[in-house]
Amino acid sequence: MKAVNVLVLTGYGLNCDNETAYAFELAGAVAQRVHINALIAGAVSLSEFQILVFGGGFSWGDDHGAGVIQAVRMKTSIGRDLFDFVEKGNLVMGICNGFQTLVNLGLLPGFDLAAQKPENALRSVAVTFNDCGNFRDQWVNMRVNPASSCVYTQGLTDLELPVRHGEGKFYTDPETLKRLKDNQQVALQYALPDGHPADQAFPYNPNGSISDIAGICDSTGRIFGLMPHPEAYNHWTNHPDWPLMKEKLKRRGEPLPSGLTPGLQMLANGVNYFR
Amino acid sequence: MPHRLEITLKPEMPDAEGEGIRKKALDYFGIQLHQVRVVHILTIDAELSAEQLKTIQTEIFTNPVTQTSSYAPLPMTFDWIIWVGYRPGVKDNPGSTAMEAIQDVLGIPLGENEAVYTSRRYCIQCKGMRSEEADKIAGELLANDLIQQWKIFSKDAWDPATGVGMITPRVVLNHTPTASDIPIDSDAGLMQLSDERNLALNPKDVPTIRAYFLEETNQKERAEKGLHNPTDLELEYISQARSDHCNHNSFQGLFHYTDLSTGETETIDSLFKTCIEAPTLQLKAQKPWVVSVLWDNAGAGKFDDDHHYVITGETHNSPSNMEAYGGAITGIVGIYRDPMGTGKGSKLIMGSYGFCVGPRNYDGDLKPRLHPRRLLDGVIEGVRDGGNKSGIPTTYGQVMFHPGYLGKCLVFVTALGIMPALVQGEPSHEKDIEPGDFVVMSGGRVGKDGIHGVTAASETFSENTPAGHVQIGDPYTQKKMHDFLLEARDEGLMRFITDNGGGGLSSSVGETARFSNGCDIQLEKVPLKYEGLDQWEIWISESQERMTVAVQPENLDRFLELSALHAVESTVIGTYTDSGKLHITYDGQTCAYVDMDLMKSGFPQWAFDAEWISPVQRGLYEPVLDTPVDFNQLLLDLLSRPNLASKEWISRQYDHEVQGTSVIKPLVGAERDMTSDASVIRPVLTSEKGLAFSQALLPFYSVIDAFHMTTCTMDEAVRRLVAVGAGLDHIGGVDNFCWPSIQYDPRTNPDGKFKAAQLVRSCQALRDMCLAYEIPLLSGKDSMYVDGHLTGRYGESHKISALETLQFSATGIVQNIHKCVTMECKVPGDLVYVVGVTRDEMGASEYYEHLGYVGCNIPKVNPRDFLRLYHAVARAIEMELVASAHGVYRGGLGVHLAMVAMGGNLGMALNLEAVPEQGCRRNDALLFSESAGRFIITMDPSNRETFEMIFKDLPCACIGSVTQTPELKIADLDGRPMVATPVSELKKAWKAPFGALI
Repeated sequence: MKAVNVLVLTGYGLNCDNETAYAFELAGAVAQRVHINALIAGAVSLSEFQILVFGGGFSWGDDHGAGVIQAVRMKTSIGRDLFDFVEKGNLVMGICNGFQTLVNLGLLPGFDLAAQKPENALRSVAVTFNDCGNFRDQWVNMRVNPASSCVYTQGLTDLELPVRHGEGKFYTDPETLKRLKDNQQVALQYALPDGHPADQAFPYNPNGSISDIAGICDSTGRIFGLMPHPEAYNHWTNHPDWPLMKEKLKRRGEPLPSGLTPGLQMLANGVNYFR
Repeated sequence: MPHRLEITLKPEMPDAEGEGIRKKALDYFGIQLHQVRVVHILTIDAELSAEQLKTIQTEIFTNPVTQTSSYAPLPMTFDWIIWVGYRPGVKDNPGSTAMEAIQDVLGIPLGENEAVYTSRRYCIQCKGMRSEEADKIAGELLANDLIQQWKIFSKDAWDPATGVGMITPRVVLNHTPTASDIPIDSDAGLMQLSDERNLALNPKDVPTIRAYFLEETNQKERAEKGLHNPTDLELEYISQARSDHCNHNSFQGLFHYTDLSTGETETIDSLFKTCIEAPTLQLKAQKPWVVSVLWDNAGAGKFDDDHHYVITGETHNSPSNMEAYGGAITGIVGIYRDPMGTGKGSKLIMGSYGFCVGPRNYDGDLKPRLHPRRLLDGVIEGVRDGGNKSGIPTTYGQVMFHPGYLGKCLVFVTALGIMPALVQGEPSHEKDIEPGDFVVMSGGRVGKDGIHGVTAASETFSENTPAGHVQIGDPYTQKKMHDFLLEARDEGLMRFITDNGGGGLSSSVGETARFSNGCDIQLEKVPLKYEGLDQWEIWISESQERMTVAVQPENLDRFLELSALHAVESTVIGTYTDSGKLHITYDGQTCAYVDMDLMKSGFPQWAFDAEWISPVQRGLYEPVLDTPVDFNQLLLDLLSRPNLASKEWISRQYDHEVQGTSVIKPLVGAERDMTSDASVIRPVLTSEKGLAFSQALLPFYSVIDAFHMTTCTMDEAVRRLVAVGAGLDHIGGVDNFCWPSIQYDPRTNPDGKFKAAQLVRSCQALRDMCLAYEIPLLSGKDSMYVDGHLTGRYGESHKISALETLQFSATGIVQNIHKCVTMECKVPGDLVYVVGVTRDEMGASEYYEHLGYVGCNIPKVNPRDFLRLYHAVARAIEMELVASAHGVYRGGLGVHLAMVAMGGNLGMALNLEAVPEQGCRRNDALLFSESAGRFIITMDPSNRETFEMIFKDLPCACIGSVTQTPELKIADLDGRPMVATPVSELKKAWKAPFGALI
């Protein structure tokens, strides 16, 4: 089977690079952590990779809007390369701070990237301060949009992942929102534990995102940004209910879970896209 | 010319920050504001063209979807405007990143004197708000005068053309660095100069210092370097090294202990040596897992064959008491440097917190500098930003409220790291320095930060004097440094690493130079934040986010190259030597030349009188109290007491899952809102071994006896580990003492001898428990002056001393994380067991405190009996017999049975008669006595036989079962219904005090 190479960015306050690389390895990829400066300086070339991951963290301390300065740094130095990387049919993923960066880069919502130039890629959606006014760490339930072309969510149904952010509220104007929905670019939405839409109810929608949006993809489905952290569900004991799940399985005489967690399955979808 | 860019959210966007302020104004002061909108201001003090300004405005600082901005004051709706900006020299983290971004986008470097300053303009809508109320909101909610300045504008006073004005808080010192010579003609003269210059020399040390500088050979050698009298830098160096903070003079002191009830006396030469070092060395010899203790920045224990974990903890009390956010963020970011500087460097894997503050709703007459509510909010937010932005999970923490902490709060921070057992084939926990190695400073720059700590608070401010004594930690800069240093370690580029904390370079270079026996430092090479620092200031500045590294000459180029890749500043500031001298120059001129072993030479030991007055002699007795009738309401009221109530809002704002290692989270249970007994992480992702961590704080027991406070605290920490499934063969400990002053003074500290006796007893209990439970102390710290002077109603000043407090942290290993258990009951029909004996031990309990009593019967620890039980519990968990395990802690059995039920969101039907007890046949005592050594366990009935076999002949009894109907039902000793409360009611009460906070 051919190796699928994943580049996970590090440096400047990013902080999920180790577990993101680890999770991609579990999902079947060959993952490499690469410092933002090494990529900009050309010491590492994007051409060796099929998946580029903007991971979680606080790039530049998130001081002037989460992901803003990271996006500026990338755009002014290797903006063209990023767009070329996408045009060649590769995948891009932005998790949490990475999602924030992708929308500031204009790679998302990416209605028609092929027609755009990086320098005039406009910011048309925002991921901004939580309505609750604070950083929050909690697990959320999500609905997967089966009609979305998002590569990563194919075959997944409802799932749970942790969110950990202070700026995760998805926001845009009504026309853009309509376009996102019409194009089936809304891949993930916050839900109630029973699977119904969260419909803005806190804490199920933890940040006040309009239309409960947790993740979107571009029009091709190859660029995906989401606030929850799939890499933080890299082992079944990451799930908050695992001790109860274990006890119930034991009483039924069933084995403990094995195989990929839903978080890893999401990453594996990206990897398997190239197989 | 400076430019002022104002940025705000579009009117249709809700302003969560402003809304938070509106809520706090109501919560803190009862002031009902209509709306608050925040304008973020960047004052850009740089020569930029109109086009450049436009570029940075649109490309960086304005989000077109959510924000609007302008270089002219934005028109806003308001009744009052409050502008808040930093004082000169206060670390402005967003200002620094704005500089980086501007240079990136414009592709030009900004000049040395160009800078960006951030500030905020709060636009408050509140008809009829008075100017006193605006003052209050500014000074007691939005700003702290130690670090910030503010301006208040009424609607009439606001000029829409000039706005807040153009304020650039640039540090201008206009000072030529000078090393001064301090005359040492007499002890009294030197002491006077010490006071004048804030040197804080100890009077007892002065003769030793003078003798050294008057000694003939020393004088001759110094004369060759152009020195005569000691320089200010040399005395500052000695003062730092001799401070209680660095040298632990109290713990190294000579204690004359008398038990006034028996008349017995005892002399203890160094509590550190006898009660900390001795048991730890003894245990290190017995336990191969103990890797490194008692010398490095943190201790190390073996995690597995290929990894060591590293742990240390400290406090940041005084700074947090002055400026809660800044003190706490500096504390957590600072403690994270210790594991980075342990061995050849370790990666940070988790952190924890402990906050002790005055009552959150305090409305008495005393006037603390910061009200406990504001102080607690500030320290919570400081640890939040420090931990979250460092990318380190905060998996555990505790909060205690007590009026004793009004004088000074306690902010405990603990850090854990991990390192490979071998680095380039060499043991990672060992390090040494060779003469010729470079002294390299990595990380942040040096300013007037933290110089002379809080004594500087009394200095008068001018417009451009740096307010440096209170700092604001910068996790962003440190995270970059952390990532860089780990790569440098793995490439074998560092021979030695240590952090810059208290004492700055004076401590880090002074201490590391002992390994090679000397150093030559060129102070002018140290990168500064601004010009004009004196040599001694550069030497002792506590500017944060710096490490001192010894780099071999052949590795220097690669080290600096890697540093540049990570955007971290690293500078060679000198060379390690074997000259036996600490030699410091500035532009070629010597400003220090002293023997490396000066600090070892004959400084006098501190001495303390300690007098123990037993609780009975102090007049403590058990209250005359009949058993209550309404246990339902009593239980609900206890659950609502602040020290027992849910503090979910704190855990939720701390990232406790970053790094993907989470196994047992701080919040567990069916509704994911219960406090876990301990946390477990999987620090090596590829392994299924876990690292368990717990802490305990029981300062209330010190009111009766700090000996039992200590044994109970340590027992609780250990029980917490056992409850989640850690083994007993490996328990690491960290002791953090916070004590009021123990130096007797008839006027200022009349009970100093008693407090000293409490410390002696606490240390002896620590020693006994370490040996009994086999806990080597991997690390520890002491903070000895937890007192404050507060103004009362009539302008009188009160000395408020904190309770004698020990925070004990414990680490354990979980061989297989799949066997971990949590505290909540899980399946209806399961049996409920109580393990351990309940005794009549309600002294200083939450129950007594609730009724206004102290009592006398304090819980006691019997290590031998308890350990047999703990081994049995550990075995039952290891055999996967139990569905849940939870220790019985503060509040007693009643409170903790309620916790187990709330956790499962299931009911329990229980019978008090069955609870194992000794001399405790009373309903209230059985429910609320805080006897140590107990657990509540729930279990599948099919495991009954095996389980009871394990506990044969041990105090363990089935007291009932888990029920589907979520109601807690307890029958009293006579079998009559005593408690019958729906679990939802219990939880409502438990969440009543803080449940609405987010």
